[in-house]
Amino acid sequence: MADDRAVGELERFLAERADRLMRTAVLLTGSREAGQDLLQTALERLLRHWRRFDGDPEGYLRRTLYNLAADGFRRQGRLQRKLLLLRAAAPPPADPIAEVDLRDALVRLLLQLPPRQRAVLVLRYWEQLTEAETAAVLGWPEGTVKSAASRGLRRLRELSDGWQNTEPQLNGERA
Amino acid sequence: MNTDVEELLRDGMERFTAEVHAPAGLAGRAGRLHRLHRRRLAARATVACGAAAAIAAGVSFAATDGSAGSGAAQARTAAYVTKRVENALAGENLVFVGRSDSKMGDYVTWAYGPQNRWEAFSNGESAITTGGIQPVKGPYWDQGTALVGGKLVYAYVTYFDHRYSLSPLGPQETSACGKDAALSMGAPVIPTTHWTAFIDATLACGDASVTGHVWVDGVETTKITGKPLTVKLSAGYSKVVKEKFATARWALYVNPTTYLPVRMYGSTETFGGSAGTFTSSFVTNVRWLPPTRANIAQTLVPIPPGFHRFYGLAGNQ
Repeated sequence: MADDRAVGELERFLAERADRLMRTAVLLTGSREAGQDLLQTALERLLRHWRRFDGDPEGYLRRTLYNLAADGFRRQGRLQRKLLLLRAAAPPPADPIAEVDLRDALVRLLLQLPPRQRAVLVLRYWEQLTEAETAAVLGWPEGTVKSAASRGLRRLRELSDGWQNTEPQLNGERA
Repeated sequence: MNTDVEELLRDGMERFTAEVHAPAGLAGRAGRLHRLHRRRLAARATVACGAAAAIAAGVSFAATDGSAGSGAAQARTAAYVTKRVENALAGENLVFVGRSDSKMGDYVTWAYGPQNRWEAFSNGESAITTGGIQPVKGPYWDQGTALVGGKLVYAYVTYFDHRYSLSPLGPQETSACGKDAALSMGAPVIPTTHWTAFIDATLACGDASVTGHVWVDGVETTKITGKPLTVKLSAGYSKVVKEKFATARWALYVNPTTYLPVRMYGSTETFGGSAGTFTSSFVTNVRWLPPTRANIAQTLVPIPPGFHRFYGLAGNQ
């Protein structure tokens, strides 16, 4: 069947790239479970258009992954915040981040950013792409990428302000 | 943000994903998802054809129970309800207002076109504030669309600390099939303002079914019940609520005369952690109001004078 052939080809394509794609998805969503859901959804979208690809479909897959994360997970994040607000009886942890080090804390702060800003920062600092390359992956104008990166970094700095009082390493005193 | 922090962020991302590996069978599962997607498309086409045929033939239907059902009867029922809702809404342009109450407080939801608003009123027992758990009575928070500078944005106002935050408006419509819809319907959140399309899609994809007739305020309504959905909570959220899973359940009651939703039931149960089982359930009574200027204005979140803007999630930092 044509479907089985496509799945077989997809398996071969994933043999080398699956781990890296999975890590990207985890960074975009904040958890392995959500990352797997995201990657699975992107792969299903890829299969819909499999016959169109003559060469390497990675560009399409990456763009789908990032755009799904940028568009779809904003609402999910809001919903989780709403559900959290409904949990009036649950006390917040006394110091939920005291046990993790600064690098982990920054990633946690990254996960609080709006999905579009998070997607841009992951592309820029995880994939280490230039602004132009990031714009090409997302299919956005370069100016949009620049402003999203700028806003994302500014938000990260604002969010980390609270840390600076308790985590002096942020100001360059890292051991 | 200095370079050190950028490097720390990069290192942090490496650390965060160091032990992450793709599970086996990704391609196979994607293939199965793809086949499911195609079956859903086919099912929608079938229901659309069924609707046309049922209306053309003047088909009526008998009440069904939850187990009923031949596929054909279910499709006819779905088509009938969908068509009547469509008819009811076609010439009207009404404002949705839903009132929910729970042991924690009351919620009022408003919706009109792209505008929506969700207000919470605490009953004074307890609420999470910047100062911890404190008794709060009256307006607690208000969130949804706000008109700022002539543009619709997403606003979140917290009354207990007199703050608000603004952010760009995200996608407003939740797909009727899948996790987002089920989770929204399990809370007093309105996932759609296009009930026709929502009911049509959720019945067509099998995420909900017509489960009979129920009397609501002296009127026999058609009951549509969603499939219960259980999800694993994300690590961060799980840590805060000290539970691991959530199950959402919902039902919608449609007035047989106006064919508009008049009551919604939703519940979200979290469980599997040290906090034990916690269930939030809501009954939302819905009214449809004429689109007067005053009613439409209620669908926008007002920013009260004197409140301070917070650049982040107000009240949840």
